[in-house]
Amino acid sequence: MTTVSEILGINYIVIAPTLALLLTVIVLLFCTITISTPIYVKKYVSFIGILLTLFTIFLKFGLFLTDGVSSYFTEKILLDEFSLIGNVLVGMVLLFTFNSFWKTSELIEDKTTEALILILMSASGFLLMIDAENFIMLFIGLEIGSISLYALAGLNRGDQLSNEAALKYFLLGSLASCIFVYGIALVYASLSIIGVYETSIAISFIGPDNVPLTTFVGLILIIVGLLFKVAAAPFQAWAPDVYQGSPTGYVGYMASVAKVASFIVLARLVAVSLTFIIDQFDLFFGAVVILSVLAGALFAANQSDLKRLIAYSGVIQSGFILSGISSGVYGISASMFYLITYIIQLIGIFTVFSIISGQLSSDFQISNISGLFKENKFITITLSIFMLGLAGLPLTSGFVSKFILITNLWSYERYVLVTVLMLTTVAGFYFYLRPIWVAAIEKTENVVEKIQVKNSDKLLLGVLATLTIYFGLLPDTLVNITRWMVEGYL
Amino acid sequence: MITIMFSLLLVPLFSAILIFLIPNSRKETFRPIGIAFSLITLTQCVYLLFGEYAKTEFTILSTFKWIQSYGINLHFGLSGMSTLLLLLSSLLVFVSLLSIGKDHSESKGFVGSLLMLHSAINGVFISGDLISLFIFFEALLIPMYFLMGIWGGENRRYATIKFILYTVFGSVFIFIGTVYTAVLSFGVNGRLAVDFETLSSLSLLESQSKTLFLLFTFGFLIKVPIFPLHTWLPDAHVEAPTAGSIMLAGVLLKVGAYGILRVSIPFFTEGFLAYKNLIAILSVIGIIYGAIVAIAQIDIKKLIAYSSVSHMGFVMLGISAGGFLSIEGAIIQMINHGITAGALFMLVGFIYERRHTRKISDFGGVKISMPRYAAIFLFTSFASIGLPGLNGFVGEFMILMGSFNSYKILTSFAAFGVVLAAIYMLWAYERMFTGPIKYEENENLSDLNSRETASIAPLVLLMLFIGIYPNYIESFVIQEASFLSDTIAMFKDLK
Repeated sequence: MTTVSEILGINYIVIAPTLALLLTVIVLLFCTITISTPIYVKKYVSFIGILLTLFTIFLKFGLFLTDGVSSYFTEKILLDEFSLIGNVLVGMVLLFTFNSFWKTSELIEDKTTEALILILMSASGFLLMIDAENFIMLFIGLEIGSISLYALAGLNRGDQLSNEAALKYFLLGSLASCIFVYGIALVYASLSIIGVYETSIAISFIGPDNVPLTTFVGLILIIVGLLFKVAAAPFQAWAPDVYQGSPTGYVGYMASVAKVASFIVLARLVAVSLTFIIDQFDLFFGAVVILSVLAGALFAANQSDLKRLIAYSGVIQSGFILSGISSGVYGISASMFYLITYIIQLIGIFTVFSIISGQLSSDFQISNISGLFKENKFITITLSIFMLGLAGLPLTSGFVSKFILITNLWSYERYVLVTVLMLTTVAGFYFYLRPIWVAAIEKTENVVEKIQVKNSDKLLLGVLATLTIYFGLLPDTLVNITRWMVEGYL
Repeated sequence: MITIMFSLLLVPLFSAILIFLIPNSRKETFRPIGIAFSLITLTQCVYLLFGEYAKTEFTILSTFKWIQSYGINLHFGLSGMSTLLLLLSSLLVFVSLLSIGKDHSESKGFVGSLLMLHSAINGVFISGDLISLFIFFEALLIPMYFLMGIWGGENRRYATIKFILYTVFGSVFIFIGTVYTAVLSFGVNGRLAVDFETLSSLSLLESQSKTLFLLFTFGFLIKVPIFPLHTWLPDAHVEAPTAGSIMLAGVLLKVGAYGILRVSIPFFTEGFLAYKNLIAILSVIGIIYGAIVAIAQIDIKKLIAYSSVSHMGFVMLGISAGGFLSIEGAIIQMINHGITAGALFMLVGFIYERRHTRKISDFGGVKISMPRYAAIFLFTSFASIGLPGLNGFVGEFMILMGSFNSYKILTSFAAFGVVLAAIYMLWAYERMFTGPIKYEENENLSDLNSRETASIAPLVLLMLFIGIYPNYIESFVIQEASFLSDTIAMFKDLK
């Protein structure tokens, strides 16, 4: 006998990570409003909340083993390889950035709880976005996630740059959301579909050649909305200002979580919805990739602010990841590998920045790290590893990810893309090596004094740097995981 | 044999890590530890010389599964040429550790970087597939970046960035070539197999072979460096510290020529036949141009740097002629140039430590104050010029003789390189060492002490040994040279 809940597909395990985060938020709220609690209780509550989230993600793997790829809540929530890995990634981002964002929140004394709630809420939103099968759910998740991030960028009210960042992020982000919604509306208007799988079914039904132009425009607008979140050119204008202005302790989280969610959704969109018409998006994706890497490299070359430099490097990396997503199923797996290794380096770099310049600071000039090596060897070495990883030097994960990606592109005969990407890699050595030069090599009078690094930070940086080198030497496990993600779409 | 091969990779690396872990208060121990470990590596290389793979073509001895779902494995192996170059690099690391002055030997970063560089260089010479070759080829840059950046001269920033960007630009082509080969190999073998055994059985179209040859060779030629791509070399040499220059001239330049002999020629022979004339012309231009520019130099280090361009031109001429004798000569010339250029840079380093100048005109009459130094310098100059009886003669003579059949006019021009070499080396010697002492700073220069003499002595002995008894070194490369020349001849006949 089938119950109503089975027909509706109600299953609480599949949204358990989101629920766990919401529960944590409610407990935190309770702790602040109803009873006054010491600050370390909040710390433990949020940390246990994150661990609980990771545990529930683990449960989802069990559900996947029994159910396989399936949808729940009347085809609103999807459980597939992308959502599983996406959940794991968001959970990992939370875990790895916890140290930074906790310390930052602690410093913003009267708004500690708000900051934590914003972060956990945005994570729950991005989890929902990753899980969404329905475009409306996707939009809701995206908005929950993004609006929290806008607020997070401006949390340091006293800082002018922080306010500027929040306002810019908000204005441009809502514009992107408008575009996104407009795209959903167009797709719905033309084909009466609002689902990821529905799109591919509808397109296969009417035939790839008969897809109306409105649908194309709608899909492109949806993709543009997502590209905005990952800061691919020409939608990158917000990234440097937001990275520069936001409290340094938050940027690692802000940058990585939005990238993870948007790229996972983009990958699924390409792998599922656009399977039959992906050829017609080649030009669009190609243009975005080339613009991203060229604009990123051009602007990154003369930045004196390291946070801006990393923002523009993020534009380049987005171009790289996008080039794989748009070229075949194995390309998607290569992109996922790239994404994971990039996120590790990104979090590591911002952890280092926040240790050096303080959690709440906004701009971070390259002179802030001059002579860093003299007194702070550990930080400099880890920073160098992350920078070399971004540059793609062998023995780091950056090389393996570039190698897999370029091999895929070459086998798809995208020679133009390969040429442009490789030239950018050469240019990358110029600006990725510069921080290392300033920190470790250049002789300077005013060296950075010895910074007390907490053991938790040391552990975190050690783990991230080890992962960067580990995936460079023995990438097999991660490659297999990313291959497993796409096996169903061959 | 396999254990020794991997210990060549790991012993320098571990010794570097060990040195990084020693506290700075015990800085006098850095040099002895480094020397001890490099002696271990050197002994192992000598042992390899008597092993079963010392006179063979490249043999893959060990395979690692790397990325299984793509079927990419890492391979390591040995050959005659590899063994010789491993020996050369170990010897040069050993003597440069012995030769460096106190301010370098008491810095853990310097000794550690040098040992890491050693590890990466050994990695290049034992790699048995394109990917591991590329990995080590790029990994060379990190220690080199620190060696040049931290301990370099005035203008080191410019020189270092130029060096890095040139090399990375070249390696991008090697990278694309590797990717292309891997994709082609995927079509045949069903996996991305790029080890040297699979590659030799890969049959390519002529156009593919040409493209791949160009991609790989361009990357390697930057490293050699050949004439229009050489401009990073003088800057890098002048700004690098002495030990960095020794390694750069002694081994890093050989990596380029080694790559061409190991990858470009045997696997993309059709491409080689199509472009060998171009390479020959460029290398002869390099020989003459390098020598003429060397004559005009006022900085002794820059002079030796340009002489490297000229000498490496001989290597490339020998390779591009493609006969048995010329390839054999090219390999021997690689070793010889490593020894002589290394020795010359070391000698310049000695006098730079005393006078803190490298301008030729700041010296004059140094022979009076430093007789032993002057004698060794003259001896090394003779070896570099190619005086019969010393090592420089062997390689250059074989190259000139071997390539005369293929390129009569070019070889005749190249022979002038030897004459020009005599001009720039001897003229520089005359200006620096003979005559009366012009400046009083030069009067009280102390002659080489026993440590310095001990560090130059092995190189001097080798110059003499190879010059008198070239058969010994030749016996290691016969197999490989005949294999290469046979491959070239076979493809020539097919045409």
